[in-house]
Amino acid sequence: MWQALHAQLESAAVTVVTVALDVDPEKARPWIEAAAPTHPSLIDSEHRIDELFGISNVPMAVWINETGTIVRNAEAAALEPSKYAAIEITDDFPESIRAVLTEMKQLPDIGEAYRAAIIDWAERGMDSRFALDPDEVIRRSRPRPVEHSRAAACFEIGRHLHEQGHGQAAIPWWKQAHRLFPDNWTYKRQAWTLASTPDGADSDKAQEVHDVYGTSWSEAFVQTGGANYTVVPNL
Amino acid sequence: MLLDTLELTTDEFEAVTGWAAEPEGMCKGDICVPAPDTVTADGHLDVEAVASRLGMALVADPEHGIWALGPESGGQALSTAVAPELELPDADGNPFKLSSLHGRKVLLVAWASW
Repeated sequence: MWQALHAQLESAAVTVVTVALDVDPEKARPWIEAAAPTHPSLIDSEHRIDELFGISNVPMAVWINETGTIVRNAEAAALEPSKYAAIEITDDFPESIRAVLTEMKQLPDIGEAYRAAIIDWAERGMDSRFALDPDEVIRRSRPRPVEHSRAAACFEIGRHLHEQGHGQAAIPWWKQAHRLFPDNWTYKRQAWTLASTPDGADSDKAQEVHDVYGTSWSEAFVQTGGANYTVVPNL
Repeated sequence: MLLDTLELTTDEFEAVTGWAAEPEGMCKGDICVPAPDTVTADGHLDVEAVASRLGMALVADPEHGIWALGPESGGQALSTAVAPELELPDADGNPFKLSSLHGRKVLLVAWASW
């Protein structure tokens, strides 16, 4: 999807740069190889773009103009309509599935509008109303309390320990990161994924995450609500 | 960023964080933060004191002998709209600098296998 956009907009001097927030770079590789990108496709195992650009979930995107100036803050990024909008939730769905799908339908369904905004920017540059001036970009950026800095430090210690093969030792550090920066879903989703059982194992993946972290993605997602799950583009 | 010691020289701290020890204090780009009495005679830095001045959390993991220094805090996440330099590897470990794309519009898209 992003590769197709990159190919479409390359002649308009737009480069798509994808950044995988994967602590284990090898987890991102199959997806990258399947996409066969002609654009830069990078790996951010330390989740540095969280603090540098205000990324707090995926997928999100930031727009940067030709002079290296941010013209649009990190927002949920999609290029197509939501797959969930058309799903009809009926009573024979298990309750847990109904709850998740109900909230999926509350996720911002902005793909078409966001794609149109990108194309408008590609064609009109700073004349596009979607390209924000620096003061507005700064104003829209989130506050950064010291708790967020501490969360980043705790996440980094956990990442390092995980990389060194001390997966269990990483867990309490990731839990701290979650407590300190609860709106940062990249810290949560990354950690929860690594608590899952391996593919093909008998035990229930969600249960394993629940045992380790006291919650699971579906539980936390339903509790937060689809409308609050990510940063809705303010177009 | 990870540290395996707090015994850092000013040069080492600058290499890791981009903050340089100047007469005015700790400076990065156009910003200087007063940081009196944080540099010793032999050019070492009181990392804990400087981190505190810069709003950078310093977290210790004594069991593994490491510290992690968090990013600056205070105010808004962006104090400027100038995009920070970003150098990251591709899947094969080849480094790539975001600044190499100056002259083009960049759509930076964050995703993950999870």
